[in-house]
Amino acid sequence: MQTLEEILQHAESAIQSATDLKSLDQFRVHYLGKKGQLTEYLKTLGQLPPEQRPQAGQKINAAKEAVQALIENRSAELQKNQIEKQLAAEMIDVSLPGRSQGRGSIHPVSKTFDDLRKIFSQMGFVFMEGPEIEEDYYNFTALNVPPLHPARAMQDTFYFANGLVLRSQMSPVQIHAMKKMQPPLRMVAMGRVYRRDFDLTHTPMFHQIECLMVDEQVTFADLKGLLHQFLHEFFSSNAPIRFRPSYFPFTEPSAEVDIGCLNCGGKGCRICKNSGWLEVLGCGMVHPNVLNEVGIDSEAYRGFAFGAGIDRLTMLKYGISDLRSLFENDLRMLKQF
Amino acid sequence: MKCSESWLREWVNPALSRDELCKTLTMAGLEVEELVPVKDIEGEENSASNDYVIDISITPNRGDCLSVRGIAREVSALTQSPLLKKNTLAEVKATSKSSVDVNIEARDDCPVYVGRVIQNVKADAPTPGWLREKLRLSGIRSINPIVDVSNFVMLELGQPMHAFDLASIAEKIHVRHSKKGEQIRLLDSTEKILDAETLVIADAKKPLAIAGVMGGMDSGVTSLTKNIFLESAFFTPKVIARQRQYYAISTDSAYRFERGVDPSIQREALERATQLILEIAGGEAGPVTENIHQPFHSREITLTHEKIEKVLGISIQDHEVENIFRALLFQFERDKNDWMVTVPSWRFDISIPEDLIEEIARIHGYDNIPIHGLSGKLQTDYARDSEKDPGPLKQLLADLGYHEIISYSFVDHHLQGLLDPAQAPYELVNPITADMAVMRSNLWVGLLNALLYNKSRQQQRIRLFETGTCFIRQDGQLRQEPRLAGLITGFALPEQWGTPARQVDFYDLKGDIENMLHFLCASGKISFRAEKHPALHPQQTAGIYQDEVKIGVMGTLHPSIVPEVFIFEIALLPLKTAKTHRFEDISKFPEIRRDMALLINEAIPAREIQDTIKTIAGDWLKDVFIFDVYQGKGISPGLKSIAIGLVLQHPARTLVDDEVTALMEQVITALKGQLGAELRR
Repeated sequence: MQTLEEILQHAESAIQSATDLKSLDQFRVHYLGKKGQLTEYLKTLGQLPPEQRPQAGQKINAAKEAVQALIENRSAELQKNQIEKQLAAEMIDVSLPGRSQGRGSIHPVSKTFDDLRKIFSQMGFVFMEGPEIEEDYYNFTALNVPPLHPARAMQDTFYFANGLVLRSQMSPVQIHAMKKMQPPLRMVAMGRVYRRDFDLTHTPMFHQIECLMVDEQVTFADLKGLLHQFLHEFFSSNAPIRFRPSYFPFTEPSAEVDIGCLNCGGKGCRICKNSGWLEVLGCGMVHPNVLNEVGIDSEAYRGFAFGAGIDRLTMLKYGISDLRSLFENDLRMLKQF
Repeated sequence: MKCSESWLREWVNPALSRDELCKTLTMAGLEVEELVPVKDIEGEENSASNDYVIDISITPNRGDCLSVRGIAREVSALTQSPLLKKNTLAEVKATSKSSVDVNIEARDDCPVYVGRVIQNVKADAPTPGWLREKLRLSGIRSINPIVDVSNFVMLELGQPMHAFDLASIAEKIHVRHSKKGEQIRLLDSTEKILDAETLVIADAKKPLAIAGVMGGMDSGVTSLTKNIFLESAFFTPKVIARQRQYYAISTDSAYRFERGVDPSIQREALERATQLILEIAGGEAGPVTENIHQPFHSREITLTHEKIEKVLGISIQDHEVENIFRALLFQFERDKNDWMVTVPSWRFDISIPEDLIEEIARIHGYDNIPIHGLSGKLQTDYARDSEKDPGPLKQLLADLGYHEIISYSFVDHHLQGLLDPAQAPYELVNPITADMAVMRSNLWVGLLNALLYNKSRQQQRIRLFETGTCFIRQDGQLRQEPRLAGLITGFALPEQWGTPARQVDFYDLKGDIENMLHFLCASGKISFRAEKHPALHPQQTAGIYQDEVKIGVMGTLHPSIVPEVFIFEIALLPLKTAKTHRFEDISKFPEIRRDMALLINEAIPAREIQDTIKTIAGDWLKDVFIFDVYQGKGISPGLKSIAIGLVLQHPARTLVDDEVTALMEQVITALKGQLGAELRR
């Protein structure tokens, strides 16, 4: 009969040599089964004198445990190998495109609406809307542009047989707002406006934002502050900003605002017509006639307002050169947004 | 307003380079639009010139800058350089006694009228080169020396002038309102029939000119003219604006009168013109006839120092304010903290203290005003009915694969009629083109135009949406209603390797609409009901209802319009009243699912089956859904097989098998009894 040591030695090499779980199990039966070598060995204990039995028993049990451990280790190894082998056969082409429902897009002008809404919401402005088919009074007269005023010629207006007009600017919403609400007032209106112009740089419909603040202490310096914040935030740029005197019937003083050309950094290029500046908006202190017209005391309150073309802001931000392309709705353009 | 740099420098010559001069003008509100080298301008004159034409955009309030003198005054104020020519008034002595009587009947409209006769002019004499060149660079064509001098004085001093052929004037000049139906042939050869309120220059018999706008052909100066009557007048801006618009005539003269001509320079201009005509075309000047009915009253404005700071947010020192007034030729008196400012006759734009403050800011420099942060009370933007942010809805549609378009609000009348025949759309009086003539009453014309545009550019799978206002006539009243519409056509998914290709159908669109309405938290129950719409397929159209209110329509576009297109439109306002959703506790007990397959008459809508199940199954029913619909082999004609899954759950305990089975029996009995369904085995 083999000694315990011999059995252990053989078992160790046999278990390591097992190449699959099935043959490993055969070895388990061979050593630890009911008729396995170590089980048989245990049966020989009875032949030993009683005082040697506990020691010998311990040795045999230790040997059984050692074999058991060898089998478990080998089993884990074999299982791991098997999984690895299986996984190795399951290669896929990760470069194939994923299954897709396809992604749509939001129009760049709408994206600008969103940007503007975020910026002015943070600054505490309320958003308001007004009708697109508007009364002449709101579109012109209440804004200090009475009939025959030369400023009416600045905007060729669409009109209807009943005398209503398509609003040519967002300013009428100011009038509605001021008639409805009491100062202090911070409001913004964004929407479609219409002028009878159709050429390379004009479409008969476009979009404007109009912003109005009325309070007891509002100055031109505050307006400059607001516009600096707004333009720097919107264009994510610290480009210089300049204010030029201009004329709008509903503001006094009035200004036009330029931002240093975002394309060339002010050196002069095709986009800024070599001036280094891009005109972005018009603004000013609300004309006392306008405040008085809506019943706000122009001695107690002052206001400022600005208006900007949302389409132009969009074109400048995204580098779109043709205004008309914004309304062609070409999918090859829309898919870029 | 165009003029050559050299002409401007004859009047004021600051030590500034050309570019600096232009920048100074631009930053003072006289925006230099273009600077053009004279050698690049086409024309007969020499091409070796180093001169430039400055093209300045003059805002409507600054009529005073529509002349070289006006711009020179600005440059002088901005640069502290003196005006080199101030007053050009040099009276020309009369050498003849010839004159024409002038009778001003419309005194309010014509406060100043100055004129004189010049006899024996040579109207065919050549205009000297220097004068022709100045006109040319300001964009005015040379005609004859008399007309050229009139135009030159207008450019130089800002006073529009007119010369009549004396031979054409019967008896005397009347400045009066026209009589309705009077006729005149104008210098541009057009015939005008006058209304009853046109200010005209007439003789004893007929109108000779539409005052301030354009002269008549028959009284105009030609190369054969011998004697002329030269007019220099001030007409009220509103009168000229009205008749310029009414007769739709644009002239340099009307442009200036409309914006305001200095009412104190008529005599000066007349003398200046006389002197030039005599120099160039000879002749003998008669005495000046001067009719001044309303001598110019200058406006006085009180400005407080405090107000400047209140408006601008910056304190400007008194001496600077006064220097600015002096530079602008404003007279003023100081009274403690106030200034009494007298506005010069040429500044029509200045009537209130804010106007003076703008002048102070303009000369001080807008860029020298500091930048303040905002302060004031803050308020939350409580969402008003119509102002909800449409951003998230658009994002959802983009996530569903739709591309947002923006189309014009005015559309082609015929197309609009095809897509919404029930509406008589609002028509523009003055549309820009025929295909933009009526206001849209729904959003489909724009969507279909975009669809066709992209189809013709090889785009196969098209999914579009637009939000915007529709203009609807309802009970004779205009309603301006925000709506959302969209369409899909082509493959359900982008062409790809891992999913079989399939064309979209009605139910693809419906699924998207259901998702969207769910997202919008529409309060109330949404339902789709079979309906008819003139632009849609008669058997594939559904009205969309929120409770009992119709909020939209969807369906297959009528194949005679464009085939294989699925389209919808919903009104946005009813959806904006969404209430905040209330949370329901989640049951801890297990869900039980039971499926059944029914054979049922094909005409019975699925919604009725679902509603019946819901009514019978009651509170235990958590979900009921259709997972198969089949017609064809194995199913008798007129029937359909429909497979339905029910999910049941009790809020407070585990449901036992027996009670679920009993409930299912009740459901099946009801479906049999009420809808004639049979369980399919």
